[in-house]
Amino acid sequence: MALLRPEEEAKVREWFTELERPVQLLVALGPEETPRAGSGDVDFGAEMVRVCEGLAELGDLVSCWVEQEPEGFPRFPAVSIRPDGRDAGVRYDGLPWGYELGSLVGAIVDAGRAESTLRPESLTALGQLDRDLALEVFVTPT
Amino acid sequence: MLLAFRFALASQRVSGTAIEANEFPQLSQELRVWAVPRIVVDGEPRWDGAVPEPEFLRRILA
Repeated sequence: MALLRPEEEAKVREWFTELERPVQLLVALGPEETPRAGSGDVDFGAEMVRVCEGLAELGDLVSCWVEQEPEGFPRFPAVSIRPDGRDAGVRYDGLPWGYELGSLVGAIVDAGRAESTLRPESLTALGQLDRDLALEVFVTPT
Repeated sequence: MLLAFRFALASQRVSGTAIEANEFPQLSQELRVWAVPRIVVDGEPRWDGAVPEPEFLRRILA
């Protein structure tokens, strides 16, 4: 099954053309937790590789790299979205299904921007942070 | 979701992780994920639902 519908693929190609710096997708594979009932017989790791390799085919500046149990990944499968190949602390744990695929695409687009799109007030507040902050957002496929 | 990613991209002090709740039921149960998106800050469940950027900023710094 195709990753995206033709019109969606064209849009994503267009967005990826506008990337200002390379974005690497580091896919981490390893032992997986048993998902909730209803997830079917999905091979989550294989699907994650298919999704990320499929997205990398849509933009010259997007690349995909797969590793087995790399350091810094508490859950598998996962993908680290890396601007210029740098670990910026942006990660998606689990397979981005359905509309969540849009979140991964959005993360790639944001990682590929040279300048943040956050409001100046947010950037000022972040610049004054004197501690680390771990943000986790739980999502489900819809 | 994208706000968390944007905050992480903008600061080396911030990390942003999306977690697919159905694939990690044990963690989801520990963090009492009954609705999504559920936002967890430094391991503590904080709120459910999307909020505008100024409110997101206020809440993560609270």
